[in-house]
Amino acid sequence: MTDREASMSAPSPAALAGRIHVSPVQLILPAGVVILFTGFALADHRVMSSANLINILQQTSFLFLFAMAQTIVIIGRGFDLSLGPTASMVSVGSALAMAVLGTGHAGEPVIVLAGLAAGAVLGALVGVFNGSVVGFLRVTPFVVTLGSFNIATGIATTLSGGHPVQGMPELFFQLLSTGTMLGLPAPVVIAIAVGLVIHFVLRRTVFGRGLYLIGTNARAAEVAGVPIRLILMSAYILSSVLTALGAMILTARTGSGEPSIGGTLSLQSAAAAIVGGASFSGGSGSAGTALLGSLFIIVLSNGMNLVQISGYVQMIVLGVIVVAGVLLDRLRAQRS
Amino acid sequence: MAKEEASEPILILRGITKRFQGITALRQVDFDVRAGEVHVLFGENGAGKSTLINIIAGTFQPDEGAYRFDGLHLSHLTPHRARGAGICAVFQEFSLAPNLTVVENLFLGREIRRGGILDLATMRRRASDLIEELGFDLELDRQVGMLSRAHQQMVEIAKALLGEPRILILDEPTASLTEREAGRLFELVAALKARGVGIIYVSHRMREIRALADRITVLRDGQLVRTLEAAGVQDADLVELMTGRKIDGLFPTFDHKPGRVAIEVQGLSAARGAVCDVDFVAHAGEITGIAGLVGCGKSELVRAIYGLEQIEHGEIRLHDVAQNTLSPRHSLRRGVVYFPANRATEGLALARVVRENASMSSLDVREIARLGLLDTRNERSLVQQAVDRLKLRPPNLERPAGRLSGGNRQKVMLARGLMRDLSVFLFDEPTVGIDVGAKREVYDFMGRLLQAGAAVVVVSSELPEVLALSNRLYVMHHGRIVTQLEGSEKTEQNVLASFFRSEANAATGAAS
Amino acid sequence: MTVEEADMRSSSRGDLRALSRWISAIGILPVLLTVLILGMCIIDPRFSGVANVTNILRNASVLAIVAFGQALVLIAGGFDLSVGAIVALASEIAAVTMRWAGTAFPEQDALIIALGVGAALGTGILVGLVNGICVAVLRISGFIATLGSMSVTLGIALIITNGIPVYGLPQSFITQFGRARWFEFPSAAYVAIAILLVLAFVQRRTVLGRYLYAIGGNSEAAIVSGISTRRYQIAAYVISGLLAAVTGLLLTALVGSGQASFGGDLMMLQSIAAAVIGGVSLHGGVGRFGMVALSAIFLSILSNALNLLRVDSRIQPIFIGVILICAVALDEIRRRRTVHD
Repeated sequence: MTDREASMSAPSPAALAGRIHVSPVQLILPAGVVILFTGFALADHRVMSSANLINILQQTSFLFLFAMAQTIVIIGRGFDLSLGPTASMVSVGSALAMAVLGTGHAGEPVIVLAGLAAGAVLGALVGVFNGSVVGFLRVTPFVVTLGSFNIATGIATTLSGGHPVQGMPELFFQLLSTGTMLGLPAPVVIAIAVGLVIHFVLRRTVFGRGLYLIGTNARAAEVAGVPIRLILMSAYILSSVLTALGAMILTARTGSGEPSIGGTLSLQSAAAAIVGGASFSGGSGSAGTALLGSLFIIVLSNGMNLVQISGYVQMIVLGVIVVAGVLLDRLRAQRS
Repeated sequence: MAKEEASEPILILRGITKRFQGITALRQVDFDVRAGEVHVLFGENGAGKSTLINIIAGTFQPDEGAYRFDGLHLSHLTPHRARGAGICAVFQEFSLAPNLTVVENLFLGREIRRGGILDLATMRRRASDLIEELGFDLELDRQVGMLSRAHQQMVEIAKALLGEPRILILDEPTASLTEREAGRLFELVAALKARGVGIIYVSHRMREIRALADRITVLRDGQLVRTLEAAGVQDADLVELMTGRKIDGLFPTFDHKPGRVAIEVQGLSAARGAVCDVDFVAHAGEITGIAGLVGCGKSELVRAIYGLEQIEHGEIRLHDVAQNTLSPRHSLRRGVVYFPANRATEGLALARVVRENASMSSLDVREIARLGLLDTRNERSLVQQAVDRLKLRPPNLERPAGRLSGGNRQKVMLARGLMRDLSVFLFDEPTVGIDVGAKREVYDFMGRLLQAGAAVVVVSSELPEVLALSNRLYVMHHGRIVTQLEGSEKTEQNVLASFFRSEANAATGAAS
Repeated sequence: MTVEEADMRSSSRGDLRALSRWISAIGILPVLLTVLILGMCIIDPRFSGVANVTNILRNASVLAIVAFGQALVLIAGGFDLSVGAIVALASEIAAVTMRWAGTAFPEQDALIIALGVGAALGTGILVGLVNGICVAVLRISGFIATLGSMSVTLGIALIITNGIPVYGLPQSFITQFGRARWFEFPSAAYVAIAILLVLAFVQRRTVLGRYLYAIGGNSEAAIVSGISTRRYQIAAYVISGLLAAVTGLLLTALVGSGQASFGGDLMMLQSIAAAVIGGVSLHGGVGRFGMVALSAIFLSILSNALNLLRVDSRIQPIFIGVILICAVALDEIRRRRTVHD
């Protein structure tokens, strides 16, 4: 038994990824972001234009919210395939709520509040569904969320009738898209605030602590009395509410509730989370890794857009990057 | 097939050293096996027995040392090559695919083919011949995952024998067998011996060693203590060689002061028949032991009390209050803590740091978390205190638990017992896989709990340990409590006798 | 919609114990399928018409073939997200190759088709090989490796044609293969059945089949038993890629052009759904190809029935989602009941 334990004491990749100490290899990604950015800036002066910088910040903010949503479930050794359709459903649902109320006599603040609430509730519902099936029935997260992927897709297209939903009040756009604070666009401000909150939640609350423990060894957490069902459930709800928030910001930017807004978000958010350093084997990842991953992907695609690399080539690059990122993480784990 | 003279060893290991993560598991060990002998490997858990047999079987590569088999130097051995050479191992962890049937598992990796197509009929015939010869009651088409542990053990043994081994390694093969099955295994071992197979037999059951061994090699702390002829060796000498000290020195003497009843179990059946109609009492201020073979239900009993097993019948009372909802969370709140046997799978989140592992079971305690927010400063100081009392080395709270030795891992887990108000401590195999020094510290920890008036329950497969530690000892067999021993009745003889009685009862029961 | 709901409701009220014993013996799928078919035959006469049955069989065959590959990888304990992308790329490669061969070797249809088919199958094998190497040699999880290769494969498919369908296939490829009916049944059904037979044989009578199950069931045990797990893992991904390419060819021949839109997420997710509803476990080691075929037929009939019943096509995914989760939840509960500790 000891020998076995001794042989198992070789730290797993997850163990190393879970460490928060900064080591040279962990600077690879931040360095990658900087190098990429400088490279593109040298290649094309438009990269450094303030309009483009704001653009990068905005796009990073959207992806960051979704990447955080995905990271939270990945920490608990889960996965949310339904993220994209949830975003679509929320986009359509909240837009519809506002459009319907807009025909009555309600004031703009009431309408916007109702819209936000509708979106958040729709998101939370998906979270409750995913979380309860994963937590209580113990069905593999991939299959559960593949199921809710279909369900949410169906609801999103049915609600919208397949068309964009319009008729949202001006205040909604101001609040989530066009408004600024300290010179920063609203989405960026929201993303920063939410990022800080999530960072705190993951690091300093019983929920966050429990989530990391469950992701690392759910059985041990259960034996030690950690309420794993409750925490898993909360993780999926939190994740879906974040998705809902991201979806509403995207809706405000697009100007209409779109049943296709989720598109490839499920996989894109997973790519950002994994490239940032979360691991599908659970127990690692943070708001910081989600931010790094999103920033990396956005800088990359923004630069490629500006130097006019076609979207198709970008897909290839993204695919290679995801695999390379994981491979790098594994090699790093092996070395130490 | 092997016609060598019995004197010439077919397997020779010289100066084998193996390190894991800086921990030396084996240091300069010499070992050999002759054709047609049973060579017993003897030592405590953690002495290096399993590392040694894993090296012989090709699972691990030694860091230093020479490996000769049949006169040939072997290096870069893999399990597959070892098997090809005729070295087969039956480990405690089975090498079976649970989703395949018995026949499929027997031939896994060496299927008989005709023209590239599996020859199902021939494999079936050979499998049924072998199983008949061995006298095992196995259905060829059952999925292995559906079989009991004992039956899986039989499949594993049959699988090893199918390869016509020249060296057969048996790692505690009787751990989950009934007396009858074990008896048949001994006959089998004798038959193989006669055919010239060299057998490496890992066990710490004196009775088996006396019955089977030709030679005995004793390991302690990764080093070879001595290899000796079995004839004329006394049990006490072996134990002394194994532990390196007189057995009296190993266990502390406790001052039991049985107080009021802490746990009372009545007519408990749980864990899908693993526990059957059990009555059990544990008092505050004493250590209650539960002894029995692996798989007898002793572990499931305490797990059921803690809320980890499904309860079919019966009642569990804690401090005279009947318990309806049992779950780890509720149990902790009521002052009951359970330290699982398998620290890697059920005890610790190895990738997380010591601090998080120690406070894992106290996240609902006010000192550590309020309104769901962690007070990390308080947490750190509480864990630090607990860990200091347990003498964790190094006392670094921010080290991943996976990088600690077995003994220190156990201390991290035990630290949970000092983090909140608890009155009942359930230990499941508390000293598995930890060295002698750490064992002593675990016992001292129990002693301190006793002094503070806690109820301590110790489940252990190591008979000397439970005998020495407990004030009252329950003996379990096949899910039932077969006897309760106290005072001078607590002897190895009496425990073993109770197994036999239970076997005999079962046999007559089955006959009638 | 009413029929199977009613069925599910009545069965849940029925004698649960007898039912559950019966169902765990044969699985719930054949029951659902029978009820669905009988119900539809009674409700709507169009359902059993030749055109409709042909249509169902075509869809089911195409889905079944990808799902077979997916199932094979899942059985070996892996995951293949790239199947949809392979379908797309194989379709385009076939079309592009045939268009080129059509100008190089005019009028030689057999040669043109052979080249196109060869190129498409080669593509599938190649992507599968890359997946397999990433998983077995570089030890990247199947999910990530195929997530990456999906993106790369789809990117290549889109670059080749800029997303525009590729025409110019030999007419005989379309009329005598893609849209052909042999003895009343669509050609795709024969292909699917042939593949099913081969796979069933592989599973029962070859070392490959047995090892894939062993690796998925307990890879440690497989290694200790001397099985070269790498080789067989790679083989699983290669076969999955190959089967996805076959699907791509069938769709190309049916539609008459090579299209990147054949594949994508939908095909991939459907293949997983079909495999999982057919009882293939995501934990590896469990699954029967016959059941996967049934499950593909079930899904095709379901969507056909919903269409005939004029259920809004937008609501249809909801049915599939609910059925998927129910199937897996049932399987999980059954698994927990039978396997102790």
